[in-house]
Amino acid sequence: MDFQDYYKILSVAPDADSKTIKTAYRKLARKYHPDVSEHHEAEEKFKQIAEAYEVLKDPKKRAQYDELREHGGQGYRQEQTQGTSGQHYSQSSSDHGDFSDFFSSIFGGAYQPEEGAGAHGFSQQGFSSQRAARKGQDIETDMPIFLEDTLATSSKPISYSLPHRDAQGQVSQVNKTLNVKIPAGVAEGERIRLKGQGGQGLGDAPSGDLYLRIRLVPHPLFDVEAHNLILTVPLAPWEAALGTSLEAPTLSGKIKITIPANSQSGQRLRIKGKGLVRKQGHGDLYAVLKVVMPGSVSEESKQHWQQLADAAAFDPRMEWRQ
Amino acid sequence: MDLSAQYFSLEEICYATQNPSQTIIEIVNQGIVEPEGAGPETWLFNTQMISVTKRACRLHRDLEIDWSGIALAISLIEELDQLRDENQRLRKRLERFLDQ
Repeated sequence: MDFQDYYKILSVAPDADSKTIKTAYRKLARKYHPDVSEHHEAEEKFKQIAEAYEVLKDPKKRAQYDELREHGGQGYRQEQTQGTSGQHYSQSSSDHGDFSDFFSSIFGGAYQPEEGAGAHGFSQQGFSSQRAARKGQDIETDMPIFLEDTLATSSKPISYSLPHRDAQGQVSQVNKTLNVKIPAGVAEGERIRLKGQGGQGLGDAPSGDLYLRIRLVPHPLFDVEAHNLILTVPLAPWEAALGTSLEAPTLSGKIKITIPANSQSGQRLRIKGKGLVRKQGHGDLYAVLKVVMPGSVSEESKQHWQQLADAAAFDPRMEWRQ
Repeated sequence: MDLSAQYFSLEEICYATQNPSQTIIEIVNQGIVEPEGAGPETWLFNTQMISVTKRACRLHRDLEIDWSGIALAISLIEELDQLRDENQRLRKRLERFLDQ
């Protein structure tokens, strides 16, 4: 087990006073809190910071820790690790019981918040007067969904891991798979709650809940804008000039679209009702035109372009000359 | 499996987020979440509001910020999230437009 240097984690001197420790914690917490930070290791860093503060803010715990530290943390490895990774912060957010093994080895098993404690354990207070019975952990996990699958209500398997406590009180991570009905028209970021599918409760308390956060998988052809879809349509210059009719993909098969003559690059054509499903009706599909030049131009084509250039008398940079 | 009811009363959101009702009332009074219904007895919260409430409580607890500060933080975070999303979407579209 690795020795954790809580002073180093909070970047404070070992003789720092409680005010300095509090300020250091608040500063780091604001920087690395997983609800605020985009840092890729925010969750792990914040856990370390919260654990360090939990010990150093409490004179009794701090004294106990200092004693161990003075003796060089005997029995612990001296290098610091990043701890376990991969668990989503909010999986443990309602339960700060997942401090490191190092913490548990000094201050005992699962962390229990003190009654009326300030910073941590807040969410566990107030509801159940019996501390022994506590609702299980809520688990939040991403649910990737293909755009095609949002058109109709579909059933999808979701796998996640959750803490399981055996008869001896040992906690381990177990994997669980559920089939979940995803309603038609779900949107990016929407959450679905599955009651009682989270971590098991303590005592007689019920299990926590599972929250699925919908993540729309990026599509190779379509971009999403609210309930509308955007399709980029490459056109040859002559197609833009003369107009054309072409077959375009939608999420549900191909359709014919007509490009009017004299179309501009960037112009949007609205195809009604071919977007994503909404609670009422459908969004639209927007075809955005993009004029593309051929890769190489033959001598003959060049002559045609030259004829066009001579005949068209078109100045695309008229505005510059005013 | 079937989806559970996706609307929650005050009592249910208290239970789902493990908070006393005073905390939820404070969060609503600050405008952090805006349930349907005229008063606490008839309030209806959706799943999104549960997530926002949980986030608000985590920030209140971990950053030691008062509720009006949390209201500001949450609205700024939401705005930042929206802008990030929009930025990502526009970048993607620009890429499609510029790539040959």
